[in-house]
Amino acid sequence: MSYFRITLVRSAIGLPRRTTDVLKALGLKKRMAQVFHPVSPSVAGQIMKVKEIVSVQEEVRLERKPDPGYYIEKTSGAEWKEQRGY
Amino acid sequence: MFKPSSPLFSGLLWKIPWRISSPQKARQRKRLRSVDRVVDAVSAALMRSGQGSKAVDRWYREMPREEEMVSKDKYTIFDKKEKTYRKGIHKLPKWTRVSQRVNPPGF
Repeated sequence: MSYFRITLVRSAIGLPRRTTDVLKALGLKKRMAQVFHPVSPSVAGQIMKVKEIVSVQEEVRLERKPDPGYYIEKTSGAEWKEQRGY
Repeated sequence: MFKPSSPLFSGLLWKIPWRISSPQKARQRKRLRSVDRVVDAVSAALMRSGQGSKAVDRWYREMPREEEMVSKDKYTIFDKKEKTYRKGIHKLPKWTRVSQRVNPPGF
């Protein structure tokens, strides 16, 4: 899963209401604040509205999965087959 | 220390110099490049995930990149009230935070 890392580099003071609203929607409240949003056309459109005052990087993050806390017992034959990739 | 000057003595008096200075020009180029970088990053990320965006496509279709722009368009904008039809880009309100890259064709 890849994300946009968006940093508000310049303040939006004095800019049109629309620009400020887009920043609010992205969750950027003050300068140098960073937010992560999944890569999607709608987020891309939002970034394009405020492209002059933000910096953007793409970051790939693996989906985090907690350790299940158990394992399933198998016969040695089944385990051997799994290791061989049958 | 209070230094008497016309902007401080009279009410609303802002003086914007007619010419843009060379450090201002350098910073303007830097800002243009930073916008290009943002758009490239967004476009590359969308491309990798196999998506597209109307706003990004439109930007690439209509807007020149910093290195493609002529200096006339980088540092001046069209103004119908000027004799030469051009004035410095630093006369544009909020000029450090807006994208102003294209001008009317022929001017």
